[in-house]
Amino acid sequence: MKRLQTVQAVEPRRLDAASAAHLLSRAGFGATPEELDALLDLPVDQAVASLLDTAQAAEPPRPPDWVRIPWVNTERRFADTPREESAENHRQTRRRYASEMNDLRSWWLGRMITTDAPLREVMTLFWHGHFTSANDKVGISQAMYEQNATLRQFALGNFRELLGAISRDAAMMMYLDLEDSDARQPNENYARELFELFTLGIGHYTERDIQETARALTGWTLDVPPGVSKPDRPTAPDTPRNFSRDGLHATFVPDRHDDAEKTVFGRSGRFGLDEVLDLIVSREETGLHLASRLIDFFGAADPAGTLRNRLASAFRGSGFEMRPVLHELFTAPEFYEESSQGTLIKSPVRLLVGACRQLRLEVEPTPSLADLTASMGQALFDPPNVKGWPGGRAWIGSGTLAVRYQMADALLQSRIPNGLEPIGFDRFLLVPRDPSQMQERMERMEQAMTDRGAERTRDGIKTRFHAETLFPDGLPESPVALVDAMLDRLIVTPVRPTARKALIRVCQAAPIADRPALVVRLILASPEFQMA
Amino acid sequence: MLIQMGRRAFLRRATGLASFSGTVPAFLQKTSLAFDGDPSRDVPPIPGLRDNRVLVVVQLAGGNDALNTVVPYRDDSYYRARPNLAIPSADVLRIDDELGFHPELVELRELLDDGNLAVVQGVGYPNPDRSHFRSTEIWETASPPDAVWTEGWLGRYFDNECSGVDSPMIGLQLGERPAQTFAHPRPRAVSMANPAIFDWPEEGPAGLGFEQINQIEPTGLDTFDYVQRAANATLAASRRIQEAVRDDATEAPYAPFAFSQSLKLVAQMITAEVPTRVYYVSLGGFDTHARQDRRHASLLQELSQGLAAFRDDLDRRGHLDRTLVMTFSEFGRRVAENQSGGTDHGTAGSMLLMGDGIRPGLLGDRPDLSQLDDEGDPRFTVDFRSVYAAVLSDWFGADAEAILKARFQPFPILAPARTRA
Repeated sequence: MKRLQTVQAVEPRRLDAASAAHLLSRAGFGATPEELDALLDLPVDQAVASLLDTAQAAEPPRPPDWVRIPWVNTERRFADTPREESAENHRQTRRRYASEMNDLRSWWLGRMITTDAPLREVMTLFWHGHFTSANDKVGISQAMYEQNATLRQFALGNFRELLGAISRDAAMMMYLDLEDSDARQPNENYARELFELFTLGIGHYTERDIQETARALTGWTLDVPPGVSKPDRPTAPDTPRNFSRDGLHATFVPDRHDDAEKTVFGRSGRFGLDEVLDLIVSREETGLHLASRLIDFFGAADPAGTLRNRLASAFRGSGFEMRPVLHELFTAPEFYEESSQGTLIKSPVRLLVGACRQLRLEVEPTPSLADLTASMGQALFDPPNVKGWPGGRAWIGSGTLAVRYQMADALLQSRIPNGLEPIGFDRFLLVPRDPSQMQERMERMEQAMTDRGAERTRDGIKTRFHAETLFPDGLPESPVALVDAMLDRLIVTPVRPTARKALIRVCQAAPIADRPALVVRLILASPEFQMA
Repeated sequence: MLIQMGRRAFLRRATGLASFSGTVPAFLQKTSLAFDGDPSRDVPPIPGLRDNRVLVVVQLAGGNDALNTVVPYRDDSYYRARPNLAIPSADVLRIDDELGFHPELVELRELLDDGNLAVVQGVGYPNPDRSHFRSTEIWETASPPDAVWTEGWLGRYFDNECSGVDSPMIGLQLGERPAQTFAHPRPRAVSMANPAIFDWPEEGPAGLGFEQINQIEPTGLDTFDYVQRAANATLAASRRIQEAVRDDATEAPYAPFAFSQSLKLVAQMITAEVPTRVYYVSLGGFDTHARQDRRHASLLQELSQGLAAFRDDLDRRGHLDRTLVMTFSEFGRRVAENQSGGTDHGTAGSMLLMGDGIRPGLLGDRPDLSQLDDEGDPRFTVDFRSVYAAVLSDWFGADAEAILKARFQPFPILAPARTRA
């Protein structure tokens, strides 16, 4: 062990099969037998430390091929660019971004499905739902990739550093309008969400604190990285951002900064971004708010609030490091109590990634695979709003539950279920009221939608299920043994007796060759499999 | 009318006794549940209710800029506060000599002339919260601003007044994320993005197993039992929804956009007379902090064209008089524009009501722009809960005070002839 453990007077608790499966269903994407074997009978401390070690040691994944450093704005509009050319650049660029986003979603899902360090990805997903940015608004694939890489880099690291990085992250600066905020009229959007959602939590600041913080954050905008030359031709004044942005590198422009004194939380000074972030992290509410978010995300029961306080202490005591906080959480007695086990509704990403991992599916990640999680209510890189995904029971509506149940078929038969396509598209432009122009605009929009749909579904779903890979010693022969083996592998919550009986009966009625896939399909479409 | 009140209370007690079976005893069905819907109609009441009225809630998510929706085109302070974003008075679709619609609300202007539209102005609540999430929660739960409630106001209505309705889909939401408006420990609402997803194996071992695995077997584990109930309700509602959509050959001209298409589905459900009391549809994107002008214009165009197509469709098929549409948004925007060509979070906004039996026109007092609060936001003149109270008591004949847990004078939105006693 590299780290000093606190000496415990009592014999450290050891993980039995149920506790190990529980830990892996939360700190990972659900246990595979191999992951389970590695933790079985270890003291809890040691098991958790090994998960954290593995997560911290994980090498960053290779970026998608299209990521270019530095980013170049291919739709930049010069004062002398002809209209037609500029419209064409815009169309081409948007098409490319859409295709790159499809690729990015599959890329991340693929990473989650194959990684040997699932906790790193689980934490990246946690931060993606915490420091949200939506491609819907950002619209630049490279910026979305870079944000993901930043969240992964700091996933188990220092929160203050992560906060500094995300405040200077291009996607975030676009998403919450920081790049447009200047001294003449500060934009409050980032300051408000920074307090309300990212750090302190609602109710621990005043409207005045927000306004003053917005002033402190002015001056930050996006430009070319140092050493890269700007295009030498200007854009016309008032050219929209998309067509005038030169780069994605956070840059401080003193002329745009309000350098006067500000008063935040009763402290006064000529604050800038870093001073405000220091003020925020050192406030007690930040640790408590993060603790609550983690407890909800990982589904620990904490009726008395004592766990929350311990996590917040670990946060402050370590100078805002995440590792001690996670160690405290995953070793907490509360985390292993009965009221914490099998009580978390899996997020769509957990559900799909878990199914692929636990069934050892052969997977080629495609945009349609990523579409499944979107239709279940969790579109990667497009959280519903700045608050991220609410989680818990909110995952379960009739429509999303139906997609969850259809997922079984989709994965086992490699086909896109019916009813995943949206019933209509978003109106992002005014439709001219002149009938002939309207006709033309509508046809263009329809065509764009059709093309986008075709591009997304082009590769279909590419997954293969090989039952024999789950049973190296041969498939269990009796229906009872087969059903129990599959339930053991896939389910962490107590199985209802009637459900088990139904599975056995179905198994008995089916030809032997069809049984494994049939049983898996029904288990995946059961209430039990929805729980982690 | 006292007798009705008494009867409802009686019915609640009686159905409370019968709630184990989830159905109403036969002797009650014959007497107190006798049909007293609108006399002009031959549509029977929703089974278990006294009439066939429906409500369609339209959420304008993100905080609709009410000031650019209904424009005070003679107010100098409006033009001073918004040098770039104000709608030029020449472009405004005038309603009276002070106020007019945003130029994209062409169809709503027609609806107003037809007597099918009302705008309640200055709607808000005391101590306004400027967080999207908290303010949305306040609107969806109808809680006092200083209390956190988890049950939605319509979730409570379903629980209080619809216990005799044997329907898994007393509330029906178009969209993926269940709205808190319907939230309740005993949920009675379904949500869907596309009805085509409700397509289940019905034959052979798979169909049989599927059916059996999704029978409810209570375990006492709250969340797990919740998932069981949701799965069971989904399967139960699936066929009704699929049939309603399949058997409907509407050719109404709805735009191919998500919001309009959602309304088209709602119209199909209303026409098919499915056992649904309240529908919920969302139009998002109103959080216009930057570059607001064209974005807001296209959102208003979508709203205007969608609602007009919906009205025409229902009218043509004879179901408009059963239907009341109500829009809401978590807040309006700050009066002064910001430097990014947008507006920041504000307070009071407006609600639209659409239907056949409403009091058309501009209702309520618009906020005085010379009397803003400390943040530079308008002060509300109508508490949104008084509009909810009107929907509950005047439209549904429900006990608004019990559902809102406080007494609000119902805001007069309905024509007296259509108001329930």
